[in-house]
Amino acid sequence: MDADVIKQKPNKIKKRTYFTYAISSAKDFTCVLPALVLLAIFTYYPIVEVIRISFTDWNLINDSYKYVGFKNWEWLFAGSGTKYLLNSLKITALYSLGEIAITLGGGLLFALLFNQITKTFSVLRAVVFMPRYVAMSSAAVVFLWILNTDNGILNYFLGTLGLGKVDWLGNKSTALISVLILTGWRAIGYGMMIYLSAMLSIPKDYYEAAALDGANSFKRFWKITIPMLSPTTLFLLVTTFISSMKVFQSVDILTDGGPYRSTEVIVFMIYKYAMQDFRMDRASVVAVFFFIILLIVTALTMKVSKKSVNYDS
Amino acid sequence: MSTMNNLDYRSNNAAIAKKKIAKVLQYVVAIIITIIVAFPIYWMLISSVKSQDEILLSIPTLWPREWHFENYVNVFAKANFGKYYINTIIMTAGILISEILTGILGAYGFSIGKFKGQNVLFLIVLGALMIPIQVTFIPIYIMFAKWGLTNTFLGLILPNTVSPYYIFMLRQTFLSVDNSYIEAARVDGMGRLGVIFKILVPMCKSTIVTITLVTFTTGWNSYFWPKIIAKDQPRVLTVGLAHLKNTFAGQATMNNHEIMAGAVMAVLPVIILFFIFQKYMLTGYSKAAMK
Repeated sequence: MDADVIKQKPNKIKKRTYFTYAISSAKDFTCVLPALVLLAIFTYYPIVEVIRISFTDWNLINDSYKYVGFKNWEWLFAGSGTKYLLNSLKITALYSLGEIAITLGGGLLFALLFNQITKTFSVLRAVVFMPRYVAMSSAAVVFLWILNTDNGILNYFLGTLGLGKVDWLGNKSTALISVLILTGWRAIGYGMMIYLSAMLSIPKDYYEAAALDGANSFKRFWKITIPMLSPTTLFLLVTTFISSMKVFQSVDILTDGGPYRSTEVIVFMIYKYAMQDFRMDRASVVAVFFFIILLIVTALTMKVSKKSVNYDS
Repeated sequence: MSTMNNLDYRSNNAAIAKKKIAKVLQYVVAIIITIIVAFPIYWMLISSVKSQDEILLSIPTLWPREWHFENYVNVFAKANFGKYYINTIIMTAGILISEILTGILGAYGFSIGKFKGQNVLFLIVLGALMIPIQVTFIPIYIMFAKWGLTNTFLGLILPNTVSPYYIFMLRQTFLSVDNSYIEAARVDGMGRLGVIFKILVPMCKSTIVTITLVTFTTGWNSYFWPKIIAKDQPRVLTVGLAHLKNTFAGQATMNNHEIMAGAVMAVLPVIILFFIFQKYMLTGYSKAAMK
């Protein structure tokens, strides 16, 4: 009898532990299930769908649709859509470059300027950061008012300097700059804060050692600060680049993509085909192409991030 | 020793003076830049209390002659801002509740929990970060039109029910919690939900507050999807504000004082939150920078 129990025991325990493990892991899985199901329905299924729609002639005016093969892709790359795509790509690239320059370049300059540990400076920093908390929709209507041709304060200030009125938003050459002024206004304080917090974490003895070796302040900045900030620069570059490619709201409120498509960034192009022309097929093909670009950019930045540029051991 | 000090003193004097000038210059430039950056906010506030006549003056006044706080009332009366507010609150609340729940549960499942295929499924969650709504909105819109969800709160909320960012950030924090706390709670007979909501959540409070604030502001300020799915009804503040500009389009300059009042009202909740949770907001940004 005793021997039997002893004989059975390990088996039973094994069974029970396996059983409890299965239940426990099923319960753990249940925890992630809601997130997975929702992502499957509202993210992964739609990305498959948008690819499928790009091979149809679906518009919302007709109820039925049929598959048309690569017709939409032809329209985009070798048809009447090509010039609009190239235009959008150019404008998105210009916009991205502008936002990156302001966030990184401007942010770093601001970080150097506001890098003082006094009460006054901490107040100034808080104020410079404030625009980040003004929602884009509010900020956009404020700039709409500031940039107004006849009654806007900017043109008034320019007038007092003896300059003529500028039709900031109605002019092909200034519309994109106006959008960048708005985004830059909200981004520069953010770049400054990120750089400042990274600067604070650079050990002081690096600078002291360099000073003892006779390096002047410019050399110390170039040889210590810049390299030590490289992970932060990379982080800002990647996040700003990817978010700037998705720009829509500022363009939509300020210029509506115009004048003459001069601010029609790629997301605005997708939006216009889908929600104004109801050409779901054309909108989808641009959306899929945009998605491919996003994937390539993400893959490239991940590759660069892996070979991180940090000199700190 | 003393002679050396004296010599040093002389050359130091010039250096100190030079440093002082540099410092004053730094102050002056910093203050000028701060004024320029702050000006649009100031101009929004000031314009929002001016009268219609004053806003149209050819020489703008930097300080209002009369204070017209009734502009704020007008925005509510004329432009239905009260309704936009309620709509935005309902939408943001729905997004917050679902993202917090799926976020906390998902973070637990992917950190403390153990099950087969965990890593692959986690990668699938992270992969969703690379698929923005700007790419997927077309099928979602068609799907929701079929389901009768256009112009509904459910339509506004559903695509924003899971935040991979939330799961990712919280998972990192849960992983840093000492396992012995969880073991001890389990020995005491605590179930999964007990461990999550009585041990992990209180221990990771500051992270949860930070990422919840980020979630709140993204939800409150969202524009792209609300504009597509609920252009007319239920209109949220961001879309309503942009629409205000369109309704007055022909006479845009005439109503700018009221539009500015609307702009102030739309950002006020976020600004108030910023002041209450300032500590968390800034750590949130630096935390994001560290990763």
